[in-house]
Amino acid sequence: MSLAARTLEAAGIPTVVMGCAKDIVEHVGVPRFMFSDFPLGNPCGKPKDKGSQTATLELALRLLPAAIGPRTTVQNPIRWNEDGKWKLDYSNVEQLSPEEIARRRAEFDKGKEIAKQRLAADLKQRGAAE
Amino acid sequence: MTAPADEEFGFAPDYDAPIPYMQRIRTYYQTLGYGAPYRWAHYRDVPFTPMTKPLSDATIALVTTAAPYRPEAGDQGPGAPYNSAAKFYTVYSGDTSVDHDLRISHIGIDRKHTTAEDPGTWFPLPALREAAARGLIGKVAPRFHGLPTNRSHKTTLEVDCEELLKRVKEDRADAALIAGN
Repeated sequence: MSLAARTLEAAGIPTVVMGCAKDIVEHVGVPRFMFSDFPLGNPCGKPKDKGSQTATLELALRLLPAAIGPRTTVQNPIRWNEDGKWKLDYSNVEQLSPEEIARRRAEFDKGKEIAKQRLAADLKQRGAAE
Repeated sequence: MTAPADEEFGFAPDYDAPIPYMQRIRTYYQTLGYGAPYRWAHYRDVPFTPMTKPLSDATIALVTTAAPYRPEAGDQGPGAPYNSAAKFYTVYSGDTSVDHDLRISHIGIDRKHTTAEDPGTWFPLPALREAAARGLIGKVAPRFHGLPTNRSHKTTLEVDCEELLKRVKEDRADAALIAGN
């Protein structure tokens, strides 16, 4: 995503990235970043809350002409919830038991294998089409 | 958990800050037993192109990492576990004048706190059309574009981003809104 913003921008097309992973997007480095401090998967507002989605999109769009230089990050003033404790959960090993770590490792290996097969099928299909 | 300074000065708790994802993810995979940590793309310099057209006259392109729903590809939500079978590996495009069923089960979203029940939280096409209708933007570009997220940096940069650029140019978009996940 961040790489796409950089490619378009370098070719003369202004961009704005809507996202939830502040450190990653800023580590890559993008021209304009509309940051929502929400769980990953909600870059455009809160679920079943059209008001938050409209407001988030409007902020992102207004950032297009408003940014005066690259690496402009604006943080969405909307909060996900009051206590913000969801931030303690994501991939936080301090909260996992050894059994849970073993289970997740097995699950991850399985997912990787499926993705490999899917990639092979995609490439085969593309080869047939060309 | 409330420290005296929090009450005295109105400070927020320390945990209530943007999640340090890179550190969390590195530690997570190291703990699971995977050696070499993932290396995120990282640049010193960032390109910048000022908007020359007023927003209210501009054609806006929409870019997404979401995937078209494929019934044969297993559980794609809401509430689906990570589904690598739902991934896609080439740039795709869709007509912005109609609605689309796009899902995010193939992405590393927050599976505890994100239910993925409302596409409005990751694919803002209807909201973008409304923004055009009320004159905030000029218009929505004729197509939206889907960008794969799971290949090597080399493929992303040399193949996928170049293909995306080509399509955004074909659509004569003045600017692009990129909804990541």
